[in-house]
Amino acid sequence: MSVSLETRLGPLQLRHPVINASGTFDVLEADKVLEADLFTDFPFAAYVPKTVTLQPRTGNRPHRLYETAAGLLNSIGLANKGIENFIADDLPRLARLPVPVIASVAGEKTEDYGRCCGLLEERGEVAAIELNVSCPNVELEGRALGCDPDRTRRATSLAREATSKFLIVKLTPNVTDIAGLALAAADGGADCVSLINTVHGMALDPWTLKPVLGHTTGGLSGPAVKPVALRAVYLVSRALDLPVIGMGGATTAQDVLEFLAAGASAVAIGTANFRDPLLASRLAGELADLMELRGLGSMDELVGIA
Amino acid sequence: MDAQVIPASLYDCPVVESRPVGIYRLVSFRAREIAALARPGQFLMVRTSGQSLDPLLPRPLGVHDIDADLVKVLIETVGRGTAWLSGVRVGDRLSVLGPLGNGFDLAGDGPALVVGGGIGAAPLAFLARALRERDRELRCLLGFRTRGQAVAAELFGGHDTEIFTEDGSMGRQGLVSEPIPECLDSMSGATIFACGPDPMLAAVTRTARDCGVPAQVSMAAHMACGVGACQGCVIDTVDGFRRVCSEGPVFDSNAIKW
Repeated sequence: MSVSLETRLGPLQLRHPVINASGTFDVLEADKVLEADLFTDFPFAAYVPKTVTLQPRTGNRPHRLYETAAGLLNSIGLANKGIENFIADDLPRLARLPVPVIASVAGEKTEDYGRCCGLLEERGEVAAIELNVSCPNVELEGRALGCDPDRTRRATSLAREATSKFLIVKLTPNVTDIAGLALAAADGGADCVSLINTVHGMALDPWTLKPVLGHTTGGLSGPAVKPVALRAVYLVSRALDLPVIGMGGATTAQDVLEFLAAGASAVAIGTANFRDPLLASRLAGELADLMELRGLGSMDELVGIA
Repeated sequence: MDAQVIPASLYDCPVVESRPVGIYRLVSFRAREIAALARPGQFLMVRTSGQSLDPLLPRPLGVHDIDADLVKVLIETVGRGTAWLSGVRVGDRLSVLGPLGNGFDLAGDGPALVVGGGIGAAPLAFLARALRERDRELRCLLGFRTRGQAVAAELFGGHDTEIFTEDGSMGRQGLVSEPIPECLDSMSGATIFACGPDPMLAAVTRTARDCGVPAQVSMAAHMACGVGACQGCVIDTVDGFRRVCSEGPVFDSNAIKW
């Protein structure tokens, strides 16, 4: 039998369901360093650049990274050149990509979500916008906005007013009721939710017994969080009529298969990119093999069957 | 240092040699393309081949030396990743991304004072050989805590290498940064090339500034992607945060905020 990996995410037609997680793959940097011609052989079905904010941010002090058991703690702190520089410098180059670009924006103030979306609304290079309301490494108005349903709804509705593009809200697992947050995003006008962002965590230096990360705490990603992510995808996809993008520790085609079965329409690969920058190229082929073994011919036969 | 663009790729490499050198482990693996492209001061992201999730991430290792199609790295066990890498044996395979980073700037023909501390000496062996091949006047000062590390100096070759140990168990007793001014007295127009622990590099920086001599320092950081994408490996410089993997690892010593 032949397997179709074609994936629909609202108006976005993806040739397979694997995209990258924001902040873990920078095609402009990687293309400078790697021999592979990433603009021709782009491994993901859509590209999500690093989150940008209204103003440039320098990010957190080192250390920003620390490996844990089957995981990675990061506290980058949303270091970015600012949305205006992103629009001027990066978007024209990203227009060359053979896949849709999903811009990621975060706000230091709730109003920023609307303003950032407004700045991207006329940009044809951007097919969709993901609202990062959930980065745990930045104090946004004192507390991660994505932990509060009302503020999530408000940020989403401000974004909704400012753009007609496909709007994705990225949820944090650091809450008691993630389905409740997803419903708030849907209420605010989201077209889609993506989850999970990183899990709150920290590490102590084994010798000094002091926090390793410059920001003291960080976000955990990688295989260690897959069960947390899978549960979140399962519950949220059942609570919502909207499509769900699942992510959190997916490393193999088997993991991708499970996220899709749990209810994700697409799956993002993040930390796994650090082990192999071209991993996603292989995953799509391996996913088709796994589906064929199970007699699954298309995404419709797989998504949500768990 | 300008970032030089040399294509890096991911290679699956067979290990052909693995032997102890003092407390370190010398591992050689076959990587024809990396051997042809790598320049002194560049590094590799290395992990054991296969699907094991622990340790999860590759480790940055400086290129210690090149021999025909073989790439050599010197490993000090400081954590899980380096413990695993120190355990590889002939016949095992490594997953290697490289060559990465900017490397040392070898322009010019003035004398070179190469200063290494501990495992930082490893990439300086490749540098020393390249400087000798360019007929640059060369002196190497290698400092270690004790004999168990200092025996690694045997990998350097050349009569231009002096060894220092903090406890005097091999070579001269003392810190490797102390004799720098005396060396520079007889090396007019010299450049310092240094790699080692941060306190040593900070001392070299101060000395270089006092003696009015330029110095290039190779820095280290925890890394995830190794290619400039994740912003995880930054250090503080006079120009703000800079990524060690793609804007370094070699920096002008005066740029670093120690």
